[in-house]
Amino acid sequence: MNGFTKAIDDRAGLVDVASLVETDRVHGRLYTDPAVFEQEMSRIFYGGWVFVGHDSEIPDQGQYVRRTLGREEVLMVRRRDGSVGVMSNRCAHRGNLVCIKNQGKERYLTCPYHGWVYDLEGKLRDVPYPGGFAKDKAEFTLRALRSESYRGFVFASFTESVPPLVDHLGKATILIDRTCEMSPTGRIRLTAGWSKQRFYANWKMLPENDTDGYHVNDVHASFAEAIDSQYDAAAMGSETMMRSEAKDWGNGHTELDFSPTYDAPLKWLNSTPERFPEYVQRMLAAYGEEKGNRILRNGPPHAVIFPNLFLGEMNIVIFQPVSASEAVQWHTPLLLEDVPDSINSRIIRNSEAAMGPSAFLLADDSVISERQQMALRDRADWLDISRGLNRERIDELGVIVGHVTDEGTNRGFWQQYRKVMTGEAGVGPRPMALSA
Amino acid sequence: MTIADAPGQTTVGLEEYHHISAFLFREARLADESRYAEWESLVEDDMLYWVPRGEGEFDMNLDISITADNRSRLRTRIRQLMTGKRHAQVPVSAMRRVVGNIEAERMPNGEFRVFSNFILHELRRSSTATVEVWAGRVEHRLRRRPDGSLGMFFKKVMLINGDEPLPSLAFII
Ligand code: FES
Ligand SMILES: [Fe+2]
Repeated sequence: MNGFTKAIDDRAGLVDVASLVETDRVHGRLYTDPAVFEQEMSRIFYGGWVFVGHDSEIPDQGQYVRRTLGREEVLMVRRRDGSVGVMSNRCAHRGNLVCIKNQGKERYLTCPYHGWVYDLEGKLRDVPYPGGFAKDKAEFTLRALRSESYRGFVFASFTESVPPLVDHLGKATILIDRTCEMSPTGRIRLTAGWSKQRFYANWKMLPENDTDGYHVNDVHASFAEAIDSQYDAAAMGSETMMRSEAKDWGNGHTELDFSPTYDAPLKWLNSTPERFPEYVQRMLAAYGEEKGNRILRNGPPHAVIFPNLFLGEMNIVIFQPVSASEAVQWHTPLLLEDVPDSINSRIIRNSEAAMGPSAFLLADDSVISERQQMALRDRADWLDISRGLNRERIDELGVIVGHVTDEGTNRGFWQQYRKVMTGEAGVGPRPMALSA
Repeated sequence: MTIADAPGQTTVGLEEYHHISAFLFREARLADESRYAEWESLVEDDMLYWVPRGEGEFDMNLDISITADNRSRLRTRIRQLMTGKRHAQVPVSAMRRVVGNIEAERMPNGEFRVFSNFILHELRRSSTATVEVWAGRVEHRLRRRPDGSLGMFFKKVMLINGDEPLPSLAFII
């Protein structure tokens, strides 16, 4: 156990999460109890893999961005050798915050308190007034987190012994592939900055709500009335008409798959190929007619990667827990490499329409979550997540598939949550005993 | 599009300054009271309603904004609010803002460019029933209509905390 992890082996203090998560219901206490939140910090946010950022945010040597993982301040840095590292933003001397700006570019990182100087690898290089400091500088570093990336998506863990990232991602690498393949080069660029939305609600309501296809008709009724969009057919039709699906990919990764609804290219952009002929051409040239047309019709995934990443169609989203009753949702538009500027500007405008504090959609989702938090505040007992248990099937990939309005996504999230919170191995396929 | 401080074009006369201030106060009051249709009547056809992530050098075509509405999207925003089902504003927030430090200048083409500061207190009646404080700098661009009244074709709201987490902002700020 490294120095980051609080005493998670102190089992006496653990909440018995197994008794609070069942297949078809979860207990309200999980959203409000500070002891549960502490256990989430140590088990989920410090014990497993969490998403940090994308390497396109820091293309040049010495560039860094600040992030908060759990409640820990970290830096994602482009190191001298071109690799990306994730390290603590806490000085090894007396613990001051080393970098204050949200992003920057430096050759060395200097702590503002007493001036200790670190290199981009986090090694201590210089100590002012060295005559009084007899210890070996090699003992002091900005502590590196274990980090791995998949197609530029950088994940980190405070726990050195965590199994490889691909074990955690499991089948969900397919989802990240689909996100990247929206670009003709397979590369995306997260360069538009992040908009941050505060929810006075528990962080778990963010992944739950973002993959809840059941609320769209009610929470977003005003949106549907004010504007025509691709969601009219994909998520707001009648129960028998809608062909979109809710999917549980395993390991807590879940998706609302709107693609079965899309019958023409670029519906997911609420647009047509005639509006963006150059993008269409480049995609067909890059992927060939068949796959290119499939991507252009199906569009990007709408999927949560457990615990804190949301591939939100043409947005990348981070869930940041603050306390049992407060969270922040970050989002940035998914910009594409080597496409006409017109399509990236369109993606930015669509991003503002859907996501963030003033968006047509998310402004209402945060308020709905806040009302839920208020109602759960004290003596709430069980919340039902059984919807669709009577009509699930398992597809050829082993993915559990249900109707878009079903709660299989939330069940998938909670089963993984239960595993991780109770200390069962956090990897591997979950038991598939849910078939109708 | 970026904005620096107000450069010295022609400052306006007393009477014009009075008209401009009265316009800003009225615009603020209609927004405070969620009188969307009346607020929208102040808006010109080429309106841009922009809330970047603060006062920095933000480019609308490269950076994500909090809000970046052209006239048609602003119309949609108001239509959504007027459905009565915009949960984030059901019931509407109780709001009062103070507008001050008004600096106005006349551009060579006769339009006005106006900078002001504001502090807005919002009672979030739709959920937490807590009071949020919003503060920032605003740039308005105004022009005379044929009937002599002022119309607004640009409103840029630079929140002091635009790059920090913001709660639901479904009202007109
Ligand atoms: S705390 Fe960083 S140099 Fe002293
Ligand atoms: Fe929603």
